[in-house]
Amino acid sequence: MRKTIYQYVYSHNDEILNEWIELIRKEADERAIQTMSDRMFVKTCAEFVELVISNFSESVEAFHDRAIEFSEKIVRLGWPLTMMTDGLRLFGQIVEEGMKKEGNIDHNSYVDFASEINNWIFPMYKTITQAYTTSWERTVSLQKIALQELTAPFIPIFDKISVMPLIGTIDTERAKQIMENLLEGVVSHRAEVVLIDITGVPVVDTMVAHHIIQAAEAVRLVGAKCTIVGIRPEIAQTIVNLGINLEDVTTTSTLKKGVEQALTLTSRKIVEVQE
Amino acid sequence: MMDSSVKIINEWDIVAARQLGRNVAKELGFGTVDQARITTAISELARNIYLYAGQGEITIEKIENEAKKGIIIISRDAGPGISDLRKVMEDGFSTSGGLGAGLPGVKRLMDEFSIESDPRKGTLIQSVKWLR
Amino acid sequence: MNMRIPILKLHDCLLVSIQWELDDQTALQFQEDLLHKIHETSARGVVIDFTSIDFIDSFIAKVLGDVISMSRLMGAKVVITGIQPAVAITLIELGIHLEEVITALDLEKGLEKLQRELGD
Repeated sequence: MRKTIYQYVYSHNDEILNEWIELIRKEADERAIQTMSDRMFVKTCAEFVELVISNFSESVEAFHDRAIEFSEKIVRLGWPLTMMTDGLRLFGQIVEEGMKKEGNIDHNSYVDFASEINNWIFPMYKTITQAYTTSWERTVSLQKIALQELTAPFIPIFDKISVMPLIGTIDTERAKQIMENLLEGVVSHRAEVVLIDITGVPVVDTMVAHHIIQAAEAVRLVGAKCTIVGIRPEIAQTIVNLGINLEDVTTTSTLKKGVEQALTLTSRKIVEVQE
Repeated sequence: MMDSSVKIINEWDIVAARQLGRNVAKELGFGTVDQARITTAISELARNIYLYAGQGEITIEKIENEAKKGIIIISRDAGPGISDLRKVMEDGFSTSGGLGAGLPGVKRLMDEFSIESDPRKGTLIQSVKWLR
Repeated sequence: MNMRIPILKLHDCLLVSIQWELDDQTALQFQEDLLHKIHETSARGVVIDFTSIDFIDSFIAKVLGDVISMSRLMGAKVVITGIQPAVAITLIELGIHLEEVITALDLEKGLEKLQRELGD
């Protein structure tokens, strides 16, 4: 039976592919298809069908390697996993219907066919899902590292004064990283005043406010002053509504004001030079 | 081979426990901040044993699962136990007139924290820090 | 077994640099020694440097907070210097804020700050 299936699939390669593409277009998540050109879509589909067919002819290891390679590509393209699992299901359907039409299977041989196709498709499910999740996990962890590298640069702007702009959402792990960068920066650059700019932080909830205040307190412990700048009206509202005590931390609305304050704190000012 | 347990009987044993913890943390490759977190957590747990249970033991081990490596601190004593677990986990609760940092502080310093206490058997605290 | 932390006198200030990990006894002994020295010398200010200390737990923090309050009662202002980033982070996570403590980056800046606080 396996041989019959293989022969059918092999000789009807193009028809299966066309039908498969049509079905997947109908069923699949539109977002996944919209992100790529039509040509790219057809090419990727063809590769998928080729991969499925290669399962007949290649060794388990070779198929495994191919599945991993293909999955990595799919993850990069942003196709969801369901696209691949649905794809496999549809592939089975198409083969079944095609073979029925050609009279390759009848009532008697159907059970045989069903068990054979299951034996064929289930291990593939496993391999493909595994390969997909592995590549996905790797992508996520790489992105995490990229995000960490992006985290909060410490910028000395004058002698004794430094700025740390915070951009993006702050979770607990990032907050810890930011705190370490901040304190190491203060100590190694001998900053007396450090301005934390939160203009680029979209949401300041209880937790984020808590982290920022902790950072400011830690800065005080190592012996410097901390000013939070870039406080937008809604952030001021949150802080007051949460009843957070900001006594030891000075705050201003803009970075410009913060720099002026920092200069005053370090007994300096900027004067215009007259020619 | 270093002994991975320290019996806590007097004040000096607190120093020995954190010394051991610091060494293991360093060996595992923890950064200075995490080393300080681990050392401090051990100090707090060892001091709790000394103050409340009279004696007990701190065990420090490396642990590993598929994805990550870390350090586990196990604090065991046969003292009077803790009658109200929820209360000791509240910030600012202290029976010894210290700063009340105690257990909630340890929980914040570490990644995982669990506590079991029975007035007849004593207290078992396990706390894990994972290598980032 | 007991190590005593040396306390140096500089004009009307006292200078202390803590070089080793503090155990409970040494910390308590230090509290006592410092208060006696303040009394003896009528010092108006104290700088305690923590640059070589890599961790402070709640007990040592308490002794430290106490000695600062006690010194204040005796008329001496205390400035803490050189707290390492790792130590600051653990203290904050433990929930110890050492409010009202004057801090500075290093011994030199600590002395400057103390002079300013004392109004010279």
